[in-house]
Amino acid sequence: MNDVASTFKRIPAEDLAWLGTNPVPTKPYYDPAYFELERQSVFLKSWIHVAHLCEVPEPGSFIRCDLEFARASLLIVRGRDDRVRAFHNVCPHRGTQLVDEAAGRQSKFSCPYHMWTFGTDGALLSAPDFDAFHVDKADCSLVSVRLEECGGLLFVNFDQDAPPLRDWLGAYAERLEQMPVARATTFAQYSYDIAANWKLTYDNFQENYHLRFIHPRSGGAGIGGDNQFGYPATMGFEGPHRTQRIWSNPAPDLKPFQRAAAMRGIPPLAEQGLLDLPYGRDYLAFFPNLFIIGTPTQPFSHTVYPISADRSRGVVRVYWVGEDRDASHRFAREYSVAQIRDIHCEDIAMIERGQNGLASGALKHMHFQSMEALCRHLFNEVDSRVQEHARRMGDVL
Amino acid sequence: MSSAPPLLPAGFGDLEPFVSRWAVDGTARRAALRSASTVAEREAFFAAAGPRLDDALASLDAKAFAAYSPADQRLMDLMLSLAHVALAVEIQGPDEVRSAPWRDRMRIDRSTADEGVRPCSN
Repeated sequence: MNDVASTFKRIPAEDLAWLGTNPVPTKPYYDPAYFELERQSVFLKSWIHVAHLCEVPEPGSFIRCDLEFARASLLIVRGRDDRVRAFHNVCPHRGTQLVDEAAGRQSKFSCPYHMWTFGTDGALLSAPDFDAFHVDKADCSLVSVRLEECGGLLFVNFDQDAPPLRDWLGAYAERLEQMPVARATTFAQYSYDIAANWKLTYDNFQENYHLRFIHPRSGGAGIGGDNQFGYPATMGFEGPHRTQRIWSNPAPDLKPFQRAAAMRGIPPLAEQGLLDLPYGRDYLAFFPNLFIIGTPTQPFSHTVYPISADRSRGVVRVYWVGEDRDASHRFAREYSVAQIRDIHCEDIAMIERGQNGLASGALKHMHFQSMEALCRHLFNEVDSRVQEHARRMGDVL
Repeated sequence: MSSAPPLLPAGFGDLEPFVSRWAVDGTARRAALRSASTVAEREAFFAAAGPRLDDALASLDAKAFAAYSPADQRLMDLMLSLAHVALAVEIQGPDEVRSAPWRDRMRIDRSTADEGVRPCSN
C-alpha cells in the first residue's frame, strides 16, 4: 500500500450546496442576445485586467490595448509624473486612432491626420491653426478611462460609478499582492483564438475533473495517490471572485529530464524568496475573466477576452522576477513556459467541441458536479448581473 | 585540417551534427521546429543532447550572455530547443503528434530568451 494514500480529503458536497445544485441553462453559453447583455452588465461594469506595470516601466512608456468587448482601443501610458493612465486611443478632433504601434516610449503623441499633439497626461499640447476652432484646448484632452493597479496588474473599468479596484477585489487583493506577479519585472506570453464562448473557455481552467482524461501525460504530476482526479484541496469564495488551493501530490510522477529542468530554476527562485510566499499553491479567479496562479516555478495568469457569443481570445502570461541571469535560468524558464503550453493546448479541442455541442441547441441544460463548483459560481455571478440588467432594460430573456 | 572555427565550444563536438537543425534562435521558432520535426529526429536529438544538458549549462553558466561566442550561442540555442524536444519525447510520447496542431494554435508572443533576437511569433 502506498503510504501517501491518505493525503487527500475531498471537499464535502454539502459545503458547496449553497451555490445550488440545479442544472444550468445552456443558452447563456451561445446566445448572441445573452452575450450582448453580458457585455453591458458584466464587462462594461467590472474591473478588467489589461496589462502589467512592467510593460510601462518609464515615463513615456506606453502600450496599445484593444478590447473587443468595449469596441475600444486604449492607450496605456506612464506620465512624466510617473502615474500610469489609460485613455481611449482616439483623437478628440475627429476620432482618428492615435497610436498604431503595440508598444513604445515617447514624450508626446501626435495624431497623424492633423497633428494634434498630446502629452503623456492626455492634455492637448498643440494643434495647428487651433484659433480657427470653436473650443478650448482644456476641453480637448484625450478621453480617460479609469485605471487602477493591484499586485502589479493593471485593470480598467468603463463604469465611472464602479467601486475602487481594491474594494472590488476584496480580501483577495492582499493575496494577489503576495504572489510572484506582484514582483514581476518581465514575462513570457502565448495567446490563442478560440471558437468558443468566454465562459465555456474559462470554465475549463477552473475544474480539474477533466485532467486525467485530457492531460494524462502532460498533467500527470497533478494527479495520483488517492486523488485520481487531481481535485483541489480547498475552495473559497469572495464576492464574485473565487479561489482554489491546488492539491500537492506528495509523490508526483516526474520524469528524469522534467525533474532536472525544474531544478535548474530553483536556485534563483530561492534567492529571490519566491519559494516561501504564502499562496504558492493557490489559484485566484477574479471576476469575470482573469485567473492567476502563485506557483513559483510557473506563476501564470490566464485571461479570456470575449469577442462574440462564440469567439474568445485567451492570453497566458508567465510572470518572472528579473531577467534571465544565466544559461540554467534561461533554460528553466523556456522549459516551464513550453510545459504549461503543452497542457493548455490540449484543452482547446475539448472546449470547441463543447461549444459545437451547446450551440446545436440539443441541450436545454447542462450539469455541474460539486467539484465543478467554481464553474457554477461564475455562472451564478454572471447570470444575476445579466438578469438584473435585463429587468432594468425591460428585456425578456 | 580545416581552419573553420568549431560550431560548438570545445568538448561538445558530439553535438555538432545537430546544430544545423536545432540551433535556432527565438522561442516561437524553437516551438515551431518541434512541431515540424519528425519523431525520429526528435528522438535522436533527445538521446544525444539530453545527457549533455548538465555539462552544457555548466559551461555556459560560467559566462555572461553578452560574452557568448557564436559557438556558445549555438550551444545555448541547442539546449533551449532541447527543452521543447524533451517535452515531446519524454512527456508527450505517443500523444505528441495528436496535440501538435492544437499547440501550434497557441502563438508564442514573447519570452525572456527572446531578448536581442530577431522578432518571431509562430
